Amino acid sequence: MKKKLLVALLIGAVGITSLTGCKASPDASPEGEQQTEQGSGEETEQETGEVQNTGDAIRIVNGKIEIDRQLKAFAESYKERTGQEVIIESLGGGVDIGGAIKGYLAAGNMPDIFVFGGEGEYEVWKEHMEDLSDEPWVAETEFAFVGGDGQVVGFPYALEGYGITYNADILEAAGVDPADLTNAAAYKEAFEKIDSMKDELGIDAVASVAAEAGEMFWSTGNHIFGYYLSLGLDRNDDTYIDLLRGGEVDEERLGMFADFTKMLFEYSDPSVLVSGTYDDQLALWAQGKTAFVTQGNWIDPSLPDYGVEFATGIAPLAFLEEDTKGVLVDSPSWWAVYNESQNIQAAKDFLNDLVFSDEGQEALIKEAGMISPFTVSDVEPSTPLAANIKTYVDSGDTYAWDWVKMPEGIAQNSLGVVFELYAKDELTKDEFIEMMGNALAEYVAN
Amino acid sequence: MSKKKVFSIAEIILGIIITVVTLYLNFMGSDHSMRGWFLIVGLALILLGLYMLPSERHNQIVNFLFLLPLVLTFLVTVLIPFALGVFYSFTDWTGVSYTEFIGFDNYIEMFRSQDYVYSFFITLIFTILNMIFVNIIAFLLALLATSKVKGRNFYRAAFFLPNLIGGIVLGYVWQFIFNKVLTEIGPGYMSMLTDPNLALLAILIVSAWQYAGYIMMIYVTGLQSVPRDILEASEVDGANKWTTLMKIKLPMIANTFTVCIFLTLVNSFKQFDLNLAITNGAPSRIVGGKPIMSTEFMALNIYKTAIAKNRYALGQTKAVVFFILLAIVSLTQVYISKKKEVEM
Amino acid sequence: MGEKRRFSNYILEIIGIIISIIILLPFVLVIFNSAKKSAEIVISPITPPEKWSQLFINMKNVINNANFNYWRAFFSSLFITGVSLALIALFASMAAWVLVRNKTKWSNVIFMLFVAAMVIPFQVVMLPLISTFRTISQFTGINMLSSYKGIIFAYLGFGGSLSIFILHGFIKGIPYELEEAAWIDGCSPEKTFFLVVFPLLKPIHMTILILNGIWIWNDYLLPSLMLGLNGKIRTLPVAVSSFVGSYVKQWDLILTAAFLAMIPIIILFIFAQKQIIEGMVEGSIK
Repeated sequence: MKKKLLVALLIGAVGITSLTGCKASPDASPEGEQQTEQGSGEETEQETGEVQNTGDAIRIVNGKIEIDRQLKAFAESYKERTGQEVIIESLGGGVDIGGAIKGYLAAGNMPDIFVFGGEGEYEVWKEHMEDLSDEPWVAETEFAFVGGDGQVVGFPYALEGYGITYNADILEAAGVDPADLTNAAAYKEAFEKIDSMKDELGIDAVASVAAEAGEMFWSTGNHIFGYYLSLGLDRNDDTYIDLLRGGEVDEERLGMFADFTKMLFEYSDPSVLVSGTYDDQLALWAQGKTAFVTQGNWIDPSLPDYGVEFATGIAPLAFLEEDTKGVLVDSPSWWAVYNESQNIQAAKDFLNDLVFSDEGQEALIKEAGMISPFTVSDVEPSTPLAANIKTYVDSGDTYAWDWVKMPEGIAQNSLGVVFELYAKDELTKDEFIEMMGNALAEYVAN
Repeated sequence: MSKKKVFSIAEIILGIIITVVTLYLNFMGSDHSMRGWFLIVGLALILLGLYMLPSERHNQIVNFLFLLPLVLTFLVTVLIPFALGVFYSFTDWTGVSYTEFIGFDNYIEMFRSQDYVYSFFITLIFTILNMIFVNIIAFLLALLATSKVKGRNFYRAAFFLPNLIGGIVLGYVWQFIFNKVLTEIGPGYMSMLTDPNLALLAILIVSAWQYAGYIMMIYVTGLQSVPRDILEASEVDGANKWTTLMKIKLPMIANTFTVCIFLTLVNSFKQFDLNLAITNGAPSRIVGGKPIMSTEFMALNIYKTAIAKNRYALGQTKAVVFFILLAIVSLTQVYISKKKEVEM
Repeated sequence: MGEKRRFSNYILEIIGIIISIIILLPFVLVIFNSAKKSAEIVISPITPPEKWSQLFINMKNVINNANFNYWRAFFSSLFITGVSLALIALFASMAAWVLVRNKTKWSNVIFMLFVAAMVIPFQVVMLPLISTFRTISQFTGINMLSSYKGIIFAYLGFGGSLSIFILHGFIKGIPYELEEAAWIDGCSPEKTFFLVVFPLLKPIHMTILILNGIWIWNDYLLPSLMLGLNGKIRTLPVAVSSFVGSYVKQWDLILTAAFLAMIPIIILFIFAQKQIIEGMVEGSIK
């Protein structure tokens, strides 16, 4: 109190601010300073809202730029229904979202709800996460993020699934039944068969895979490698991810994975494989020039851009000898509520509305083309791959995304390159296994 | 005491009070939102009071006030971080704090790590090749731009233009050219950026493209400074163009060569923007059984070590060595120019 | 002789035209492909666009794109560059003048420090710089990292060395008699400076503005570290880079973004070609 009095006296003495300004300021967060700053600059529209997280609007930092429009539309309808304003701030995929949020924290500009990607980021943020265990939606899902202490802290806004996505028309023409693609031998046979019929089928290559490390590390180092970690395991079985976190690999399993990966690479379009971007990879497949593409249901919204009319589905990257029927499905990231937010209750209400209101589920599933993690939802996905993944979810044939528990940045800084070299044929299978092992051990050690 | 004096002294005292109180609050860990402005106001009042104070030492006060802005910014942005940077290279600094002094451990680790040694050599190779390419091209362009050809001024402007656009933007444009345009040349033609050696060549091409026009203009200035009467005299003596160039022009612009060579040396060595935007270090190559980014120059290597891999102390150590190497190059330049001056 | 000269001039002209085409080709490709849809680029990246009107559609898309936000980035760049330049020109002139006219041990030391610091590469100070600024922000409550004042402060620090060096050389060449006359008339030192010396510095200010202007406008590393790739304030190079950084590489939009980022400088260059070239060359030789 003494300090406040001093400050008030000072302001009076200097006369730069009126006393009313002072009364408002002791409660203000450090952004008071930034706001004045912004007044001098060229700030417009949403930004002025962004900094006012002391106000009534709740602010969400979303990590999926693809669903920005849909979330904003939902925020509009939410405001109409409840009067609560919601500001959606979407950050693009390639940018360092964790870093951006760290910046917000440092600047005292934390959003009320923020995205986080998994265990690594949980460790960074756990001090700042509100316990959501008592929220009604928790009972409706098995995909919530549960922290080390058993508290539910992550809201699963959607599910995503991936494996190897196929062009069902091509498979049919080649006489391959996608339902058979559940083990390595079946894949080998199918790939050889399709490869021998390339001209008849009018395709350039069997598969569209992209392994360039700089931009596609997430596809190889996270997604494809994720199959090594999770394929065939119960959702809560952590065998291989635990091994990895200890800096070790199962060489036999990795060997089978290496054989399968090699086959994938050999039957892919060589140019896209070593230098293609996500766009190139997708375009090749979407134009009907390959039978397979190693992406998941997030490509749904892009399909109309290419005028895709063929039937599609997703099969597992079944690299083992025995049958594995499931694909990797999980919440790609979670939303956490900032525990020092002024609007904790409003944020919680918003999340519940997203789950329990028709508008909420419509927005996420129908509009954004995602898959609901909540059993209460009876809205069916209308996009083909999401619908396909939903059948895996419904039948319980899913494996967890254990790769999100890998050390932060490992795919980008370490594993992606090994895949690239393997794709360029600069590594033999044994060298690949050895280099993977070394890369992991070294990364974990640092 | 004049009114003015009283007023300015009062101002100074008020300023001091505000500053001291704000500093006190800061030390007490206050996070009052206006404290930043108080400090600024307090300091501004002191300075203003000092300026208005009628005094015999007014001249010195003005000198101080005139020096203050740049000396202060320079101190805070360059000198203090530099000193801290050298210090941090001997600690386990995390970018925020450090816990202990670890001597030369960072330096030892750095010289032992393959990626750094590789980066050092690839930077050296790039620097030397780039210096040669850029200077040869720039000099030939300068000869063209100082010849009697029509439209000289247009050429100068056209050649100079790439230099004005930022390396980041240009880098992305060229990434497009290498990955999308040049691959159109023939079927099955792979992008240059997928091969370690060709990727280096690609950066060399872009660097020469961007930089040669600038160096050209320095040569142009040099060539134009060759006195006309000497050239005319040699023409009268019947010397042909080649002899004039070799015997008169080249020796007369030796200084320009020194300037250009060192300028390109230093700038090639510091190359970052193009490196980041064109290849970002890719593709990788295998060195001693380990994957290594084949085109990661030192500046990018420092950046990635600290920012992407979150190893600030190690990155800072690399930066200190980077500085020492650059300082050696610059000192050599000073030495050579001094020697030349003496000879002349 | 005349024949031969004309012939060799023709050859030179042809060479000049060819080189100009090669050098300008990337710009042409940017313009061509900025006026294409993504699919059109994939099919034929070299040909002129089918419909130039697509250029405006792409420009509109990029300008309205939440991840790029062209106008905000443009005005941020303009504001940062403009204010930094004005302050560098003013403060560096003041400092250089004091350093030239007051020959003391201290002024020599300060000048030598500024000159010596020109050797210091940004890389060696960038990491501690960020942490120093962060500490200052936390301690004083003055936001130095993601604010205009912070980055302008930093540009003053980094731009000061070279500017003082160049101005120092120039002011030394101004005859002292001019100032003496003002002194005798009873002018205070600050008046002498602003009324007599400062106007004389106009030609060298041009050099300083151009040298610092091009650098600050194009600078990537400092703003990306200080302001962040997704901060509230972003300069054009940072905005382009963060735009490219998204997962999906939409070359049509990226090239349009590049096009939009180049345009201001190219327009400036067309109008002030001579001054820009001279300024940059002069700065390098000194």
